[in-house]
Amino acid sequence: MTTKGTVLVIDDDPDFSEVVRIALQSDGFRVLTAADGEQGLALMREQKPDLVFLDIIMVVPTEGVYVSEVMAADPELRDVPLVIVSSIIDSPYAAQFPQDRYLHTKMFLNKPVSIPKLLEIANKYAVAC
Amino acid sequence: MEEQLSFHTELIERIDWLLRLRWLAVAGTLAAILAAYVLFPGVLPIGPMVAIVAAIAFYNLLFLLYARVLHEARVDRWQRTLSFASVQIVLDLLALAALLHFSGGVENPCAMFFVLHVIIASILLPRGMSFAVAGFASSLFAALALLEYSGLIPHYPLPGLTGLGLQQQLPYLLVNILAVVVALFAAVYMASSISGQLRARESEVVKSSKAAAARSRELEAVTSRLRRIDEERTRFMMLVSHEQRAPLNTIYSVLDLATGGYAPPEKSQEMLLRAKQRVTEMLNLINELLMLAKAREEEFKEEETELTQLADILQDVVRLMRVEAESKDLFLGVDIAPDVPPVWVNPDRIKLVWTNLLSNAIKYTEPGGIIVASLSANEGFVRGSVRDTGIGIAPEDQPNIFSDFFRARNARQMSAIGTGIGLSLVKRIIENAGGRIWLRSELGKGSEFVFELPRGA
Repeated sequence: MTTKGTVLVIDDDPDFSEVVRIALQSDGFRVLTAADGEQGLALMREQKPDLVFLDIIMVVPTEGVYVSEVMAADPELRDVPLVIVSSIIDSPYAAQFPQDRYLHTKMFLNKPVSIPKLLEIANKYAVAC
Repeated sequence: MEEQLSFHTELIERIDWLLRLRWLAVAGTLAAILAAYVLFPGVLPIGPMVAIVAAIAFYNLLFLLYARVLHEARVDRWQRTLSFASVQIVLDLLALAALLHFSGGVENPCAMFFVLHVIIASILLPRGMSFAVAGFASSLFAALALLEYSGLIPHYPLPGLTGLGLQQQLPYLLVNILAVVVALFAAVYMASSISGQLRARESEVVKSSKAAAARSRELEAVTSRLRRIDEERTRFMMLVSHEQRAPLNTIYSVLDLATGGYAPPEKSQEMLLRAKQRVTEMLNLINELLMLAKAREEEFKEEETELTQLADILQDVVRLMRVEAESKDLFLGVDIAPDVPPVWVNPDRIKLVWTNLLSNAIKYTEPGGIIVASLSANEGFVRGSVRDTGIGIAPEDQPNIFSDFFRARNARQMSAIGTGIGLSLVKRIIENAGGRIWLRSELGKGSEFVFELPRGA
């Protein structure tokens, strides 16, 4: 018997977050959404999600990079699977994306991401046995 | 000044040439004296002649040293260099006269060497000085001839070479002097004309090469300015593409959700409506981009303007926006002062200014708030403003508020949808019309955007 876990979506586009919420909820997941990095980190500490989908370019172009680094440095958050979903590659901010260090992430998905792909990832990481 | 500078450089070079040439003259004269001594022994007074040649060699050595000092001084002492050249020419003439005196005076055909000296003077010196040198050379030759004729100085005959006693025949002497004088002045006239032309041409070349250098610097500046504009354009295109990709990504996900059956139909329907809203926003963005491009284009040409009453446009815009404001429970007031003069603007653009400022005020003011658009005039300007009791703009965001695609943090939080182009467009329109725009804002209290346009009448 498997239980579907909690997924946190951090993205400044509320429509995108809503699409992901509807798709994952329809598949049985509990979904939380945050519109910026600080809100996302607060929710993480409070709700202990099983998986985080994280956008990079928010109000600050590399806000997501900051979130991933805070997560990596925090023993409580370090083990939460993190998947980056962003369009920073080929964007005007690409140069600000760190090339010189390992980012604390399971996967990097380039937007747009297909719904089946997101469901597949959620079913892989956010499922408690 | 510039011409004198190039003449000065030229003079220094020619003095060097003269110093080298003089060594040649010393060698040649010595050889000639030696030949005369061998071929006609006992005729020439060798002692004084060798002494004169030695004197020439000695002063040439001194001049050589002095020339080096002048070079190293590296100061443009034009007058000093000119005197230096003149002294050399005068000494050369005196030496030639002395040599002639000891070798037969007027009987010696070497008198024609005077011509060489005035040519050298014409090459080195300005024209007036060259004629003075010709005068001096003429006087020397005439003096030599007449003094020997009168017996005031001895005549050294050249037995076996001429022996005709020409120095005693006055008509011959006068004709000879006249011929030498004419030859000297004609030589100066011709040589200095040619060297004058050469100097003029040289200074033209200097001038035109300076002009060419200035032109190439100008071109370089233009090129680097174009490069900067091109870079800015590339950056802008990337920003535009990025701003359009964001909603497209979301629309893609919505369509994926709806067409793939990943959501219940009523949820899909709701998201499709949101996607439709995003498409509308994108169309607005593209329209604003087109207007922005147009506004940029118009910065370079005369805009089609007419004498316009800003009040009429404001009232039209307010009429259109009142429904939207009231649906959000906002009070929208208009305060138009009497007798506001018209301004020279493009009415469509000004309509865009009012629409943008008012729709921002409506968008970023919480229900129950107040928005007031006002219009007044002072001596030079017509002043328009839109004031609201909205969320305000943080001080750190205020400097960027008119930049392309910039949206304040609290604006993004309040409404995810917005292009960040509206205010940039408004600023361009106002500035194209010769006006200026600024804001007063306090976070959480409200904002006021104020613009001024020059009075039309």
